[in-house]
Amino acid sequence: MTRYVMIADLNRCVGCQTCTAACRHTNATPPGVQWRKVLDVEWGDFPDVQRLFMPVGCQHCADPPCMHVCPSTATAQREDGIVTIDYDLCIGCSYCTVACPYQARYKVDRPEFAYGDLPTENEAKRFDERTLGVAQKCTFCSDRVDAGVEQGLTPGIDPEATPGCVNACIADALSFGDIEDENSNVSELLAENTWFQMHAELGTEPGFYYLWDADDKRQGTERVNIDVQDTQE
Amino acid sequence: MHAKVEPEVKRVSTYCYQCVNGPDLLTVETVDGVATKIEPNFDLKGEHPADGKVCVKPFGLVQKLYNPDRIKRPMKRTNPKKGRHEDPGWVEISWDEALDIVAEKMNATRAKGVMDENGNPRLAFTTGGAATPFKYMGSFPALLFAWGPFDQSLGAGGTVKCYHTEHMFGELWHRAFTILPDTPRCEYIISFGMNIDASGGVTGVRRHADARKRGMKRIQFEPHLSVTGANAAEWIPIKTKTDNAVLYSMLHVLLHETPIDKLDVPFLKNRTASPYLVGPKGFYLRDPETTKPLMWDNNTNTAVPYDQADADPALVGTFTVTGAIEVGADDETWRYDSVEGATGLEKTRQLLAGKTPEWAEEISEVPAATIRRITNEYLSHAHIGETEIVDGRELPFRPVATVLGKSVNNGWGAYECVWAHTMMQVLVGALEVPGGMLGSTTHVAGDTDWERSLTVEAGEDGFMTHTFTPTDKEGWDANPFTRHAHNSLTPMGGDKMGAQLFGSTTLAWLRLQGRAAESWPKPNPPDIWFLYKCNPAISHSETDRMGEVMAEFPFVAAFAYTLDESNHFADVIMPEATDLESDQLHRIGGGHYFENHWESEGWALRQAVIEPMHEAKDFSWIANELARRTGLLEAYNGAINAGVCGIPLQTDDYDFSLDLDREHSQDEIWNAVSKSASHDLTGGKEILDLDWFRQNGFKTRPYSRLNWYLYHKLEDLGLRFELPYQERYYRMGKQLANRLHETGVHWWDKQLDEYRPLPEFEDLNRLWDEIIERNHDVKAADYPFWLLTGRSMQYAWGGNVGIQLMKEVADNVYGHDGIVMNAGKAKELGIEDGDLIEVTSPVNSTRGYARLRQGVRPDVVVMIAQFGQWKMPFAKDLKRPGLNALVPMNVDSLDGGGSSIDGTKVYVTRIGAGL
Repeated sequence: MTRYVMIADLNRCVGCQTCTAACRHTNATPPGVQWRKVLDVEWGDFPDVQRLFMPVGCQHCADPPCMHVCPSTATAQREDGIVTIDYDLCIGCSYCTVACPYQARYKVDRPEFAYGDLPTENEAKRFDERTLGVAQKCTFCSDRVDAGVEQGLTPGIDPEATPGCVNACIADALSFGDIEDENSNVSELLAENTWFQMHAELGTEPGFYYLWDADDKRQGTERVNIDVQDTQE
Repeated sequence: MHAKVEPEVKRVSTYCYQCVNGPDLLTVETVDGVATKIEPNFDLKGEHPADGKVCVKPFGLVQKLYNPDRIKRPMKRTNPKKGRHEDPGWVEISWDEALDIVAEKMNATRAKGVMDENGNPRLAFTTGGAATPFKYMGSFPALLFAWGPFDQSLGAGGTVKCYHTEHMFGELWHRAFTILPDTPRCEYIISFGMNIDASGGVTGVRRHADARKRGMKRIQFEPHLSVTGANAAEWIPIKTKTDNAVLYSMLHVLLHETPIDKLDVPFLKNRTASPYLVGPKGFYLRDPETTKPLMWDNNTNTAVPYDQADADPALVGTFTVTGAIEVGADDETWRYDSVEGATGLEKTRQLLAGKTPEWAEEISEVPAATIRRITNEYLSHAHIGETEIVDGRELPFRPVATVLGKSVNNGWGAYECVWAHTMMQVLVGALEVPGGMLGSTTHVAGDTDWERSLTVEAGEDGFMTHTFTPTDKEGWDANPFTRHAHNSLTPMGGDKMGAQLFGSTTLAWLRLQGRAAESWPKPNPPDIWFLYKCNPAISHSETDRMGEVMAEFPFVAAFAYTLDESNHFADVIMPEATDLESDQLHRIGGGHYFENHWESEGWALRQAVIEPMHEAKDFSWIANELARRTGLLEAYNGAINAGVCGIPLQTDDYDFSLDLDREHSQDEIWNAVSKSASHDLTGGKEILDLDWFRQNGFKTRPYSRLNWYLYHKLEDLGLRFELPYQERYYRMGKQLANRLHETGVHWWDKQLDEYRPLPEFEDLNRLWDEIIERNHDVKAADYPFWLLTGRSMQYAWGGNVGIQLMKEVADNVYGHDGIVMNAGKAKELGIEDGDLIEVTSPVNSTRGYARLRQGVRPDVVVMIAQFGQWKMPFAKDLKRPGLNALVPMNVDSLDGGGSSIDGTKVYVTRIGAGL
């Protein structure tokens, strides 16, 4: 079996948003639709303050609340763990958007472009009408993963089979791979580092892990969870 | 039925050089001839320190191509009246007409003479981005060289928004136009505001992330919790402009509280001027016959020349020397039969006496115990005595570094800070060795900015050669050549090709406004001002007044991408082909710039991934056209042959030179450069043409890590780093004072006072209060906040504030959309998050929305990036506050090198509820 997961090393991330921009390029999402983005989180009181950067997006949960509330079966889960949305089935009811504890879903009802009402040449070239009026979110670049696997490449290792955000990350903070393979890059990272999952207490079993140096004087994962929630709200 | 046509997808290699940390290679995907995606260039994995990745900025380049706000074809002004509120009346014209207008102006100006009646060049050229625009100008620089003297003093922000003092002294001391830790090996970094995770480019971010992962500690002293502070092991919210106090107290701990044998004694004795004896007049005691500086030899208990073999020089103490001379300014000489001489290090100890951590705590609000702990941690991480073998050469291994950010290393106090942080390296032997602090790039000491190690040559007194602008009676130039008078006022900038860029840009603008240098005539505006990839009306200081000056310029030719606040005053606007539409071959790798030292070097091609949009033209084409129309073709071709496009086209080994008397297409030019570069790179084994580079993108060869360091170069030549005592600088200042006073110039006296052999501590907060009160009719106490700025990786140097994607992603990083202030302080003032507030300096005010954070001192407000646009499409609608409009320009705020800080004292007023 295979389960693809992503890892963000919070000791590496500098919040530069290169992944955010790369995702926008890779997936041709419209302005403001950031399937991947990095939160800028602060806690504490001056002068004892901490700030960190936290990449977020769809967590590709093993038990995804979004899927359970989907009345049209548009949201589904592949055998490799990637949570999908079938745009042809989606009725745009937004139940999933509300149900997602990670606020990872977007819905765009009308075409939106970078400069006014008309698309630029690149936007026109890549405009996909199917994305209007339906839920959308990070796909773990499943099209890249599938195309790569078909060529015998390894997702997370070979760039052609790896999500765009991971490829672009300049801090080497993002990793992607098969957690079921105990020798994979992601399995090794999780074995060698302290980590947490966002809102693990909800039982969603996210496919997104955050590496976190336990020796760091920052105050631990629980605090991060709370603040991320605050920031998102 | 038609068969479905598969789209034609291509991937083209090119590079991004929007910031000095480049070029970074990338690939652009095109679909049916439309650029769609930016991706890393993984072909460079293993060679590029960040494995071929690029930062966030180049992801804006696709929108940059298709931005509807682009200037699509040349335009000319029809309203002769210039002013911020005047409509220029732009009308589109053909390239022929635009080039004819510019060429006719050039020809008419040339007929009058290239210099005006004040002796200033009639043609001026301004660009920004720390000279990175030169990486986009194709062969245009050859046209400027063909023209003759041109004025670059009308800066877009240089000396205010650069590491000016580090540039000047860094090159003198260790060929460091900028400095960097040897991050891949460094264990402990003390950073005074260096925001490297936002400014260090792709390799900086990657190397620091790797270093953190292996346990490197970074201590960040900064008034606000920056992106870099966020990832530091500790953030210490130091009071603004008190870095000098903390640095001096750290040196005090090392020199007064630490046994000297815990420092790097061999390094101090052999590789520095610490043992040189200083006489009563403040100059070195010298051997009367050879004039060599003297040291005290512990073996013989006598004074001996600095290069005496087998001497054991005394590091500290005062000694009685028999028979010595001192040589001061203008060769004034004092002869002594017997004289007391203190070592340079003894003088340093005396300077730092009393500068205890407790003293620094009073000034900086950094606890004395913290200063002591950090200094001792630094010392313990220095691994004094250890060595590392690099390519067969044994070098000291000292994995510690102390680095400075912007506004710490320019303006008043910067001499103290730059000297002190370099002394932190010197005392533990961590200068130019593995793990320690390294330099990059030379602009002052050498004509080539590429291989600094080539500039290490034996000069006078056992130091490296270094050429200042002459200050002696015969050599000094009383006539300001440029409008900022770099040749007459700021000798530290040297006399090399880039010397103009290190003069005081603020002074140039002040003089044009009639606000400075009253004993000199007010300069004329340039007859022709070329403007490219910069926007001084936004990026310099006191920006409202910049436009007033520009409106008086008789002819401004702007190369422009969109309308903006500076080209609003232009007469002709020409749209150049942008990043992804134009060609230029450039060097990659080697030991170039911040955090960008590679273990390979070579050349890469920036190439047009699509045909230029609209009527935009490649810069080399524009240069060709103007060269022909101005009759400068022969000199222009000659400049290209001489190497202006990056490498000479003719040497003893190869000849790909251009015929001088005919025009060559841009492809011919870059083909010749490609062949020359590849011949040079491969020792003639491979001659690769432009087509090869178009297909393959880049060519590299190994670059020894030994070239990252200078220690062994000095060791081989028996040279010393010119520290701690600054005898040459002191003498130069005295001579400059003589020259200026002889010609009746007394308005530069405060700056002349900075030319001291050791920088004495100055209370900079008190100084700034005095400057404010002296120059404005205000009470300093009414301005309780420091207004500071912070580096934005998304925007810095990109000229991309009109790019939607950059705005979108930058807004994810706190503070881009408002004014950052301390939440507790805001509460005291009745300000809530999102409220509209006004920030007022002695010269202007600006408004924005309060963004409340805990990670900022209560006496500081922060405006990130550079906003305040009123003309540039998209950007003007952001309505964001701009710091630059609030920063005063006056001679008082200029330091000895002519630089000043991009900060100011302000007060804050709540205007009302936010949106």
